[in-house]
Amino acid sequence: MLLEVRELYVEFATRDGIARAVNGVSYGVDEGETLAVLGESGSGKSVTAQAVMGILDTPPGRITGGEILFRGRDLLRLKEEERRGIRGAGMAMIFQDALSALNPVVPVGDQLGEMFVVHRGMSRKDARARAVELMDRVRIPAAAQRVRDYPHQFSGGMRQRIMIAMAMALEPALIIADEPTTALDVTVQAQVMDLLAELRRAYRMGLILITHDLGVVADVADRIAVMYAGRIVESAPVHDIYKAPAHPYTRGLLDSVPRLDRKGRELYAIKGLPPNLTHIPPGCPFHPRCPMARDVCRTDVPPLYEVGADRGSACHFWRECLHGPDH
Amino acid sequence: MAPTTEPVLQVSGLVKHYPLTRGILFRRQIGAVRAVDGVDFTLGRGETLGIVGESGCGKSTVAKLLCHLERPTAGSIRFRGEDITGLSGRALKAVRRNIQMVFQDPYTSLNPRMTVGDIVGEPYEIHPEAAPKGERRRRVRELLDVVGLNPEHINRYPHQFSGGQRQRIGIARALALRPEVVVADEPVSALDVSVQAQVINLMDRLQAEFALSYVFIAHDLSVVRHIADRVAVMYLGRIVETGSDAEIYEHATHPYTQALLSAVPVPDPEARARRARIILSGDVPSPTDIPSGCRFRTRCWKARERCALEVPPLAVPPAFRGTPGPAAHDSACHFAEELPAGDCAELGVHGNGPG
Repeated sequence: MLLEVRELYVEFATRDGIARAVNGVSYGVDEGETLAVLGESGSGKSVTAQAVMGILDTPPGRITGGEILFRGRDLLRLKEEERRGIRGAGMAMIFQDALSALNPVVPVGDQLGEMFVVHRGMSRKDARARAVELMDRVRIPAAAQRVRDYPHQFSGGMRQRIMIAMAMALEPALIIADEPTTALDVTVQAQVMDLLAELRRAYRMGLILITHDLGVVADVADRIAVMYAGRIVESAPVHDIYKAPAHPYTRGLLDSVPRLDRKGRELYAIKGLPPNLTHIPPGCPFHPRCPMARDVCRTDVPPLYEVGADRGSACHFWRECLHGPDH
Repeated sequence: MAPTTEPVLQVSGLVKHYPLTRGILFRRQIGAVRAVDGVDFTLGRGETLGIVGESGCGKSTVAKLLCHLERPTAGSIRFRGEDITGLSGRALKAVRRNIQMVFQDPYTSLNPRMTVGDIVGEPYEIHPEAAPKGERRRRVRELLDVVGLNPEHINRYPHQFSGGQRQRIGIARALALRPEVVVADEPVSALDVSVQAQVINLMDRLQAEFALSYVFIAHDLSVVRHIADRVAVMYLGRIVETGSDAEIYEHATHPYTQALLSAVPVPDPEARARRARIILSGDVPSPTDIPSGCRFRTRCWKARERCALEVPPLAVPPAFRGTPGPAAHDSACHFAEELPAGDCAELGVHGNGPG
């Protein structure tokens, strides 16, 4: 396993008390594999990724338990310098908003080249040549001329390509992409996802794709981990989950998407709201919104039951959910 | 036209150009952002018109023009047959009661220092004739109830509500004056998927309950398909194709619509292999420098010489004129055709487009 997160816990000190953002998350990704981490805002999907990258704001954030194994080494036990060596060369991250992730007053070529100067000790001149190569590889037209341009001179799609180029620069084994196309229009989104898939195949990288978009997941992922209130509620190969979800939350999400190929009268809507992370409901955190909830759900936290080959569901009644005909 | 079929809104030749100027003492106009560049449509009573398009296509500017938040450079907007484009003062105020807006971002479109009761009741301050003073509080409570909020929360502030609840507050405010037309600009795009469905269902229910006509603007094609009776696809300030939802989604003839639809990710991994996608090259050109002829030609895989010379009109293409099929709807393309069923992936154009 390239990356393995084991029983990770993260909390934040807030004015309203302690927000438990990540509550015992475990997932893994192999070389050449794409894992989609699906969840709504506040589900803990981005916080987990930040902990893996080592870019969590501490304080207010605090990792209170768990291990993050990268090629077998626990990253949480490494010194900051050692982690810096892994960031960029071992794993890299692509952010949602390229405009705020890039430095506005430094030409993009210099920002790309800096990777080579810092990590590979190259001269500025050689680094710039590599920057042009990279921009070419992510298909930015006229790369040699545009290497001196600033981020604001590029369109949203082109900026996201620059982010990808920067993440790819040192050919890391793992890329974490946090909502990489959410800010982009659909036609540009398709271009960027295509590029990412092509590069991932070419370099056999592991990819963790963090998203709320069930459509994007279906398009590119091998496996899915669905998160809710800081926990993984369902984990499965991509085909299985769309065919027959084993958790009522996943099922609700799938049913509430309006689909081009299915114009219904009323959409299924999950009732209620995602929980406040300072006051996560006892028992199964989804029980106040769950159409299947019973007494046991209000008291006992469901473990991640093994529900099939390589599949898990944190629902006491996963059998019913998996085989049941209706909500 | 019989009064029963008379459209509520009739928009013709709508244009909005924002001038670009240079110089401090002698301001010269050096160009214009052609945000909306000749848009025509009608909205029937009780109907939902969906307007889709990517960022910068002018769909939000159309929304602002409809609500008189911006003055058009040219063209006219008729409300129940009356030209309201040039209205001002009292006459404008009277018309505005009937056309209300729901905004995209429920975090910035509600005043954080006002209580929910004051926000939803504010339209009555501006239009005192709509409800007598003693009545207003009661009406606000009713409105909160109608949109699925607890009327007891009338004294709370916006920050005490979640995104979905805030959007309900915005909808309640839009309904306060009992308008005939609601213009909703990306009303659910800031919301989580599970909450989106709740708000869409609410808007559906309210439409039936209050006999509303909607102009529903969104970039999410599946949301629009779900809610709209008719759909208009915009590109660079113009409608390039319009028709019923089935005509657009199943029988699109404009290459831009086809590319847009093919790019939407379908939540079905089984479809991954058989889905034919058209990946457009390049970016949308700047609205300050719109290509000659057909404005989509710089990204179109079908573009020929004629496309650079002649602006294609928004009409039923000659090939389909007189045919009864669903492909016979307005499409602004010289070479409009339905995509062959099955494999069209070879149409995909990769590589170095302009921009």
